[in-house]
Amino acid sequence: MGERRVAPAAFRGARLRAFASTRHGMIGAVILALLAAIAIAAPLIAPYGPLQQTSASLAPPSAAFPLGTDNIGRDILSLIIYGSRASLLIGIGTALAALLIGGAVGILAGFHEGVVESLLMRVVELFQTLPAIVLVLCAIALFGSGFWILIGVVALAIWPLQARLIYGQFVRLRGREFVAAARVAGLSSAHIMLREILPNAMQPIIVQVALDASIAILIEAGLGFLGLSDPSMVSWGRLLYVAQDHMGDAWWMSLFPGAAICVTVVGFNLLADGLNEVIDPRGAAGGLP
Amino acid sequence: MLRVAGRRAVWALPLLLTIIVVMFCLLRAIPGDPVQAMVGDFPVPPAYRALIEEKYHLNDPLPTQIVTYLGNIVSGDFGYSYQNQRPVIGLILERAPRTILLASASFAIAIPLGLLLGVLAGTARRPLADKLLTTSALIAYAIPTFWLGQLLVIVFALQLGWLPTQGIGPMISRAHGFAWILERLRYLALPALAFAIHEGMRIARISRASVIDTLGQGYIVTARAKGLTRGAIIRRHILRNASLPVVTIAGYAFGHALGGAVLLETVFAWPGVGLLLVDSIRLRDNMTVIGIVIVSAIAVVVMNLVVDVVYALLDPRIRTAR
Repeated sequence: MGERRVAPAAFRGARLRAFASTRHGMIGAVILALLAAIAIAAPLIAPYGPLQQTSASLAPPSAAFPLGTDNIGRDILSLIIYGSRASLLIGIGTALAALLIGGAVGILAGFHEGVVESLLMRVVELFQTLPAIVLVLCAIALFGSGFWILIGVVALAIWPLQARLIYGQFVRLRGREFVAAARVAGLSSAHIMLREILPNAMQPIIVQVALDASIAILIEAGLGFLGLSDPSMVSWGRLLYVAQDHMGDAWWMSLFPGAAICVTVVGFNLLADGLNEVIDPRGAAGGLP
Repeated sequence: MLRVAGRRAVWALPLLLTIIVVMFCLLRAIPGDPVQAMVGDFPVPPAYRALIEEKYHLNDPLPTQIVTYLGNIVSGDFGYSYQNQRPVIGLILERAPRTILLASASFAIAIPLGLLLGVLAGTARRPLADKLLTTSALIAYAIPTFWLGQLLVIVFALQLGWLPTQGIGPMISRAHGFAWILERLRYLALPALAFAIHEGMRIARISRASVIDTLGQGYIVTARAKGLTRGAIIRRHILRNASLPVVTIAGYAFGHALGGAVLLETVFAWPGVGLLLVDSIRLRDNMTVIGIVIVSAIAVVVMNLVVDVVYALLDPRIRTAR
């Protein structure tokens, strides 16, 4: 039907090449690939175990401990390597969960004009009233913070971004001819929403998934820093929570875990930038005429 | 005039009511004893338990409970903090001015900084300058504010010893007048700076996009054609038009400032609402948690209305629209 973009292989290859030519996108992709490799191979590359305590507590960076040790003698480098697992899993898991919730709400609101539309968009607005971290803190205060709860709660706080985006795409597309044609052809609403409109709306949605992942990582780090994330997982935010009590005697406990968060978030943002440039090359303009 | 804002105001009330009802239902959804859920992990004397059950109609059907709770909130009764032995609203009102002070100081730095960077990046003739500014904005935006706060403390307070590490003022102060203000500013400097860098970069990104958008308009070409200098165009046309979205973004961000304050107030032991929220969560003081959430929702809604009104006043197209 119409402008469905189930592109032939050659066309998809062209898009991949276009993405590879955006420097931002490539740097982001490389950063994330490296991080994923580190997270997967953590037991192989980490010099120490995540819970292994040595006799050297609060040791500054040295040959034995490249990034120093923490207050109970754990190697910061190893902790950062293992911590990448929590950040990536929660970042990606939350972004996908937000895609599911935001997608369902955005698609339904964008496809059904009228009561359903305004009701659902009011719900979106309701969720956007509170700062995401406050919403998450409140939920955690009341219901605790296991790994899966964390993903669900953070997703509940950030899905409105994705919902608004998908809604906007559907509103833009729902009046197009190919949708009318599909209706005339007697296709079901579900088929039109998911098989006709959605493929045409997909690209900005993927960009938003990358952005959502970066937001989720920052929120998770914030929770860890407040000492409210899943206590059974090594996470970068939690390392900074411990570091808060040792700013005077162990600057390395602050510097390196924070830098790891920063690099990961930059990675997701660059990836999103690169994807965005491929989709909408106009964004790169600038300069006075 | 102001019709848009008016329509938003009408919707604001049910929005707030819904949030309050949802918050109460969440509080009641905590598994276990509802009285315990309200006071936290403390032994509750039977007399106090009876008092709470009666006040919140806990033995009546849920709708009655909700109506009672709404009535309490509307009359300014946000419950009692057992941990602090004080009414919740008193706690919040005592802390709120400090958070507002922190946020105001931050935005006073962030708005001019963000606008400047955004205009510089957007009007840069060499793509390299734009790239440099955009990339640094991207990186600065990825820095967690609380980590930036820790680094600022380590460098400027602990290593250099220029500024205090935390708190809102010295334990004992003999300073008066101007010296007192200076003393307070030294405590405000680092948290406000950490906040301002983050918010400033958000504003820089928005104003860059807005400047680029403005540059594509016909009147810029006209201005150039009639011989206006670059500086005059930027001042008279670009800055004015590009600052509109900045007003919106800064306003919304200010309403949401509690989000950033939660983390920064923890780094700097700044005794505002954010720190109160974190402490209350740690103490399982749920009445206070919910009170703060409701008050911050009110703050966001009010701030959004203010933004709508200001926007309508600034933009003649919206001002006259019906």
